[in-house]
Parts: sequence; C-alpha cells; structure tokens
Amino acid sequence: MTVTAKAPPAADERLSKPRLLDQLVVRPEIGAMLGALLVFLFFSVVTEQFLSLGGAATWLDDASMLGIMAVAVALLMIGGEFDLSAGVMTASTALVTALLATQLGLNVWLALLVSLAFALAVGALNGWLVMRTGLPSFIVTLGSFLALQGLNLGVTRLVTGSVQVSGMRETVGYESAGFLFASTFQIGGQSFYVSIIWWVLFTVIASTVLVRTKFGNWIFAIGGAAQSSRAVGVPVVRSKILLFMTTAFAAWLVGSINILRYASVQANQGIGLEFQYIIAAVIGGCLLTGGFGSAVGAAIGALIFGMARQGIVYAGWNSDWFQLFLGVMLLAAVLVNNMLRRRAERVKR
Amino acid sequence: MTAAALLSVRGLVKRFPGVTALQGVDFEVRAGEVHCLLGQNGAGKSTLIKVLSGAHRPDEGEISWRGEVVSFGNPTAAMRSGVAAIYQELDLVAGLSVADNVFLGHELSTAGFTRRAQQRRRTRALLDRLGHPDIAPDRDVGRLSVAHQQVVSMARALSLDGQLLIMDEPSAVLDPDEVRVLFGIIRELTAQGVAVVYISHRLAEIREIGDRVTVLKDGRTVATGLSARETKTSELIGLMTGRVLNNVFPQRKPVDPAAPEVLVVRGLADGDRFAGVDLTVHAGEVVGLAGLVGSGRSEILETVYGARKAAEGTVEVDGRKLRRGSVGAAVRAGLGLCPEERKSQGLLLDQAVYRNITVSSMSSFARFGFLDDRAERARSTKLTETLDVRPAGVDRVVRGLSGGNQQKVVLARWLLRECRVLLLDEPTRGVDVGARSEIYELIRELADSGVAVVVVSSDVEEVLGLSDRVLVVREGRVVHDGPADEIDESRVLDLVMEGHAA
Ligand SMILES: Nc1ncnc2c1ncn2[C@@H]1O[C@H](COP(=O)(O)OP(=O)(O)OP(=O)(O)O)[C@@H](O)[C@H]1O
Ligand SMILES: [Mg+2]
Repeated sequence: MTVTAKAPPAADERLSKPRLLDQLVVRPEIGAMLGALLVFLFFSVVTEQFLSLGGAATWLDDASMLGIMAVAVALLMIGGEFDLSAGVMTASTALVTALLATQLGLNVWLALLVSLAFALAVGALNGWLVMRTGLPSFIVTLGSFLALQGLNLGVTRLVTGSVQVSGMRETVGYESAGFLFASTFQIGGQSFYVSIIWWVLFTVIASTVLVRTKFGNWIFAIGGAAQSSRAVGVPVVRSKILLFMTTAFAAWLVGSINILRYASVQANQGIGLEFQYIIAAVIGGCLLTGGFGSAVGAAIGALIFGMARQGIVYAGWNSDWFQLFLGVMLLAAVLVNNMLRRRAERVKR
Repeated sequence: MTAAALLSVRGLVKRFPGVTALQGVDFEVRAGEVHCLLGQNGAGKSTLIKVLSGAHRPDEGEISWRGEVVSFGNPTAAMRSGVAAIYQELDLVAGLSVADNVFLGHELSTAGFTRRAQQRRRTRALLDRLGHPDIAPDRDVGRLSVAHQQVVSMARALSLDGQLLIMDEPSAVLDPDEVRVLFGIIRELTAQGVAVVYISHRLAEIREIGDRVTVLKDGRTVATGLSARETKTSELIGLMTGRVLNNVFPQRKPVDPAAPEVLVVRGLADGDRFAGVDLTVHAGEVVGLAGLVGSGRSEILETVYGARKAAEGTVEVDGRKLRRGSVGAAVRAGLGLCPEERKSQGLLLDQAVYRNITVSSMSSFARFGFLDDRAERARSTKLTETLDVRPAGVDRVVRGLSGGNQQKVVLARWLLRECRVLLLDEPTRGVDVGARSEIYELIRELADSGVAVVVVSSDVEEVLGLSDRVLVVREGRVVHDGPADEIDESRVLDLVMEGHAA
C-alpha cells in the first residue's frame, strides 16, 4: 500500500524559525529578569551605597542565602510539590551541628556530616510520607514544619537550658569548616561572602540538571502529569523523594553557612522563611500547579528580594515598607509571567 | 500461520475495589499477527492491556512471554522486554515538547545528559513515517490537537522498537486517511514479525487489519482465536452482548416541512479555520456534519455555542440573534454542546456518576436552594440504564469507569438538559455497538420531541443513518447540504477527501 501524501499545511512550521523576541518570551524567567533590572535601576538611582561594591556585597549575600533555598524549592515546585518545612530545616540542621560540636565535643566536620545525614533523612521521610499517603505535600510538610519547630525548641532548651546554642568558636575544626562555608573573598578591595559562590554554583548545577539531563525532564513530567509519567515508566516516587531530599540538602547548606558564620544559632530561626522561598520561586516563573518553571528564575527571584531588602535600608526607609514592596512585586511578577505565557501560547499556535 | 505463541495469558484476574475487572482471561498472541480484542464498554479490554504492559499487577493468573512466565512489575520492565502500549487515555505530558514526550522514560542519554538533537531527529523520522511531517518535534504537546496527540503517542510506541505493540482504540480520534497510514505501518511491522494487539469498536477496521479475534465479556474470554475476516458480524455481536441486534439506526420520521426553524446560522466565519457557513435546523430535525478530523466541524459547533468568537456571520435561535462569543447568551437561548473530548472537557472525575450527569441541570433539581438528591439520582439512574453504563450504580466515582462508559456519562449530562438546540460532537466515540444504537434511539427521541439536533461525526455511516440532513465540511467550507437519503457513503467520502488524498 502506498502512503499518500497529505496536503501541506498552510505554513510549514519547520521552516519558519521563531523570532528572537518570541523565543525570549517563552522563557519562564523573563518576567523576573525584567523585575530585577527595574529594582536594580531604581535603587541605583535612589540611593548612594546600592551601587557601591560594599552595597553589592551586602545585597548579594542576602540574596545568596535565600537563593540557595529558592532554587531547591523551585525544583520541587516544578516537580509538583511544596515543602513548608524548608525554613525551619535551616535552623534544625544548624542546631544539630552546633549541639553535637559544643555539647558532645564532636569535630565540626563530623558534626556537619551527621547533620547532613539528618537532613537527608528528614527530606526522604517527607517525600516518602507524601508519596505513601497520597496527601498533598502542603499538609504533610506543614506537619513536619510544626514537628521540627517543636523539636528545635524542645531539644535546645532541654540540652542547653536556653533557646540558643553558642560557643562554636571553641570547637575543633571550626576554622577549616568555616573556610569552606563562611569565609570571604576579595574583589576590588571589598570582601564578599563565599555563600555567593555556593549560590551561583548551586543554581548552575540545578539549572543544568533541569534543562540538560533526563532527571530534569522527569521533574517537569512528574509535576505536569504524575499519572501519565508513571504509565510511561518514569520513576515518579523515587524522583519526588529525591527532590524533597534536594531541598533538605539545600537547607543543610544554608544552616551550615549560618552556624559557621555567626557561631551561634537561635532555636526559633527560620520560621516564615519557607514562604519567602516559594515567593522567590514564583517570581522566578514557577507555577503553583507544577510542571513549569526555572531554576535560574528562582535565583533571580531571590536576587530581587535581596536587592529590595537592602535597598530599602540604604534609602533610609523604615523596613516595614519591605512587606508592601514584596506584595506588589509578587503580584506584578505573577501578572507579567502570566501575560507572557499567554502570549507565548498564542505565538506557538 | 502456526507460529509459536509470543505471548500467552492464562486465567488472568484483576480486582479493583468493588469491581472485578478481569475474571479469567485466556488468550495468546503469535509473532507477526494482528490480534483484535473485542468487547463492550467495561468488558475489561483496557484493564487487560494495562496488566500486560506492567501498569497494573494481576491478582491471579499467568503471563508467559516467549515461553517464559513473567511478571512485569512496572511499565519500564515491560518496555525492556519489548512490550509497548498505546493507552486509551492519552498518556502525554503537556508542557513537554513532542520529542521529550516520545522519549520520556526511555531517554537517549549519556551519563544522565539527554541527547536532545538525536531525540529530535529520531522523532522527526517517526512522525514522517506516520504521515505527519506537519508536527514539529519542538512543539509543546499540550498545544496539539487530540488527533495529533494520538499520532505522538503512536510515535512513542514505535520508538520503543517492541516485539509486541498494543493499541487501545488508536483510531478513535483519527480520520480515514490517518487510519490508512496506521494500517500501513501495522502491516510493515507484522511483516517484520512484530505482533500487534488491536482494540477498536469498529468492526470494519477489525475485518480489514485483523487476523484473529478474542472477545471479552464481563472480564472473561468468551471466544478466542476466531478468524477476523470470516466470523459473521452477528456472531461477534452476539458474543459481545449476549443478544441479537437487528436495527442499529432508529426509524426516521419525515420532518414536518412546516416545522419552525430553530437554529439559523448565516455566513459564520471565525477568521481562521472556517468561513461562510450556513446552517438551518428545524425543530425535530437531526442535521449531521460529516468531514475529516480537523476540517473545522468542531470549531463550527464551538463558535455557534459561543465558546469561540465569530469574526463574521450571525447565529439565531428561535429568531433571536445571539451575542457573539458569549456562552452565557447561548445557554440562555437553549443551546447545549456536548464536546468531543471527555477528559479535558468537564468530567468531574472524582465525583459520583449522578453528580456528573446533573451538574449542568442543577437548577431543575434545586428547591429553595437545596438540591433534591433523590430526584437527581432517579433521573440519572434512568438515563444510565438506558445507555447501559456499566457497572451500574450512579454512586460510583467516574474515574473508575471504562473509557466508553465515561463518554456515556458526558452524553447523559447533555441529554438530560432540556435544550432547544443540542450540538453533539462525536457522541459515540469509543462507545460499543450495543450502546451506540441506544444513543441513536435517544437522540431520535429528543428530536421527535421538538429539539433541533446537530451531530458531528467522523463515522460516515453514523452521520447518514442518524441524520435527516447531511452537511459535508471540507477545509472549513460546507461543500454539500442535502437530505441524508439522497446521498450514499462513497459519495460523502469522495466529497470529504476531494483534493486531500489520491
Ligand atoms: N482504576 C480503576 N478503578 C476501579 N475500577 C476500574 C478501574 N479501571 C477500570 N475499572 C473497571 O474495570 C472494568 C473494565 O474496564 P476497562 O476500562 O478495562 O473496560 P474497556 O473494555 O476498556 O471498556 P471501553 O470500551 O469503554 O474502553 C470496568 O467495570 C471499570 O469500571
Ligand atoms: Mg477501554
């Protein structure tokens, strides 16, 4: 039997290269990029210090601590899940490290390793519970959020009699571990925290995994349609658990940076940050419904946060205004992202 | 042909909470044959396929693959052994590109990094082979039409290079041309020794492509190894339904020429897919729209309904002009549209059957703002019995129903609503032969009660048998408009295909 040729469609889309503008518009992080540019220009004009090296060091540092988490949370959100315990996890990991080092006299490196194992276990447990029960991760991780918060306070008070752990400076290995997590490097006579490098590194790796590897493909697939993905052989359970573990790993990284930089940690630290991570990811183009988003976008979302938070300080305004700014920024970003996506859909039709 | 069995299945049982979907299935597939599965909606065909392809685990029974007893714990294991399946519900991920979908789960990769360029090239080749050079591998799958999505699913299955290819109603959304290409590919594959399991409710297709037939009824094999060409239609239907079916199409009453014109469409165009559409439907008349998938028929219905905005032209119901692009206005004027695709278009999958049926007619069940649950159930029960929704019981959750039974639920919803004009898009897609004639009966009853009905269908026999008047649509134009009994199937096919394929 001969296969008959079909009438050619009106325009062969293989031949028409999409225009550059249309290609750009399809990127999820484009809205965040525009926003970042606007915020940058605004505070550069309005304040003196913002554009200085010292200023940049401050807002980059602020952005980096948030950004490491936002990127991990973005991967998880693209995979279709939330982690509300991510904020307190940054405190839990720091507490584990600090308690082991100060109370048991463990070498800091060893304490860090135990803390990492603890973080990965909590992440795996989160993922396993979500997959096992079929409950929304919002609820499951709300549970682990509360549980961790209770543990943080309870254990700390039990062991130290107060709600903070300090005295890290006297522990074995503090200096060498500090070099990796909390040192500074010089550019033009200005010292920058090494956390910025961690942030960039984490973003590059996350983005590469997301865009270039098959695991990245799976993340989009399980976030967009878990059922169908399972039917074609994507290991949905394993992938999702891995994503929860990634978030926990990021929380360990941030917790370690914190404890080694400040040498002490409050047991109630980190509460409320979980929403900042989600906000940064959403500004960066992630959809709450999963299946769409970008790691670079989330990093830029965090950058907007950092710039705005410090910019407001430099401008001499009361920091109360930050929340207002944040609200407006979030709405604007979501609206712009939404508009661009619609346009992208029209372009592709 | 007496090749050894490639796959053989014995005593397969699969239970779901509350239903036993398979209760003893035996059959065997030989290398190089096309083995057809026949059975009513809910007979267990899709469940059988899911068990064979590793998506479900059987509760009892034995599957042998190339002479060895196997148990595929998951789809990947089945794929590795060479079993590829195209499921009835499309299993594509919107948001990913065509190429990413084709290779999802079996990516071409080096050290975890996907080889995108190579995937794209292979996808391109597969799509060309399927007769679709017009689908770009980089397109987002979610933006493709249902028919094109089906093609992508097929490309996916072919990309697995399996020894056994299972297809669950692949032709349901394809037009005759595409079905012909599909059959060409199936013949190519079987010549190379690949076995194909083919499911369809269309007997004509089974006669054309099938070698042997297995009939399932209520989860059991009632006959297996029948010749696909020689077995009599009446025998097959008898095996499937357990009863004799004489007349598929109901008797037509002559339309009263003095009956009022209920729906009048003049010069309708959407500025894109179709233009210059005139359509008049009298009270009590059934008008059929024939044409290829993608010829613009569904778009015409959607535009009449206001779900798409018209660029030109008018739609009048009972002499009153409707506002353009307003579904609200259309509904108030008494229009109803039963859409083509059940999944994306408004089935509440986790709600009970009766809720799904009454959801569009809530106001007629509300008393002082409270829903009359009993009346809802009673009306739904009656409809589901007529349409033979199985398993019976209006309290079942829709998700657990078979594909064809879900389709019946959507249809029931629109049949329940009292409309002046009912627009039906592919009302019998995926519905078995027995239930089909019940649906025709219901549509005819509605028309006889004075409703104006427009039916879009890719099944020419159905359009001709059911309608009083037939319009043929080709590439967005109405190319024929006349009484159904003055035109025959081959003429319609000629009109439909003209300039399209040699
Ligand atoms: N996931 C599920 N949960 C509960 N019941 C199910 C599930 N899947 C199928 N069933 C039930 O199993 C039976 C067989 O369904 P199946 O989908 O295999 O039918 P089918 O022969 O493919 O029908 P169709 O021609 O309509 O596609 C039906 O009674 C259906 O309600
Ligand atoms: Mg089925």
